Amino acid sequence: MRARGPGLAAPEAEVDDDVLVRRAVMGDRGAFAAIVERHGPALHRYARRLLHDDGATEDCVQETFLAAWRALPRFRGDAALRTWLFTLARHQAYAQHRTAAGNRTRPQLRAVDPVDLVDTVDPRSDPADVSEEGQLLDDLDAALRLLPERQRSAWILREVEELSYSEIGAVLDVTPTAVRGLLERARASLVTTLAAWR
Amino acid sequence: MSAEEDLARATGLLRAHTDSSWAGVREALLQRAAAAFRPSAPVRGRHALGDFFVAADVVVAQLRAAVDAVPAATAVRIVCTTGEADVLEQVVVELSVRFGESLQEVAATVREAVGARLGDLLGPLSPGVAAVRADLHVTDVDLP
Repeated sequence: MRARGPGLAAPEAEVDDDVLVRRAVMGDRGAFAAIVERHGPALHRYARRLLHDDGATEDCVQETFLAAWRALPRFRGDAALRTWLFTLARHQAYAQHRTAAGNRTRPQLRAVDPVDLVDTVDPRSDPADVSEEGQLLDDLDAALRLLPERQRSAWILREVEELSYSEIGAVLDVTPTAVRGLLERARASLVTTLAAWR
Repeated sequence: MSAEEDLARATGLLRAHTDSSWAGVREALLQRAAAAFRPSAPVRGRHALGDFFVAADVVVAQLRAAVDAVPAATAVRIVCTTGEADVLEQVVVELSVRFGESLQEVAATVREAVGARLGDLLGPLSPGVAAVRADLHVTDVDLP
């Protein structure tokens, strides 16, 4: 017997990621469900802003987590679980994009022409129905769509998901210095776009 | 309000935002994950008619149930190690134990429960109680 104390009671919601990973590797689906609960909303938020399509986002997030479930036994823990999941999600988003390339309603990873956003950016046709905060979020989403994918990803992962530069570099497969450049350009573009719209 | 302030405020809103469609995705995802196949390591068992294999996932789930039936103890983690010919060599059970309980008594009870369940599952190839290690985490400590 080895005793460690005082320890912590460990309902899954409070267990560290590395413990959840070890349990999921052993086939513990409850631990995997806890991983989904913990990281799912962020992955969905990220994928939604890469793909701008509810169906494609759902497919992307599902395939990301299923890929993670299958690959967990080979996950070496070199990167944080969260970084690994975002990397899988980005790859999956590109896969979704390729799969949908022949469809009329293709998900959009690349920056769009502002003219194409006229319809989608107009949730303010009835101001009484849209809160000021909702308008602000819609404007931000639309401004993000104007950014090239790497700038968009870098900005979301840094400013919204609060990953470090090196973690973002791992997701985007670029150096931390390159991340810094992407972020500077993304911030400048977002400020310029919002200033023009508001 | 300046565009910089707008961006800062929008960023904070997005950080706290959960897409409304996430709830539906979550349900579908958990259902698919529950059905998704992932190969599990085999653990060799033996009975009168010969050898058979039990998935490691099944062994762990059975041991977790056996441990959780012990009062004041909860299995935090169970690790099985197999050796040559997929014979189970060791089981490490990380336990969360309520503060104030006799650690040695709880550990001994858990070892017995795990050993018994292994015997049921694997027959003569069960490594027995001697191969079961109990690591204890004391919880709910209330210092004076």
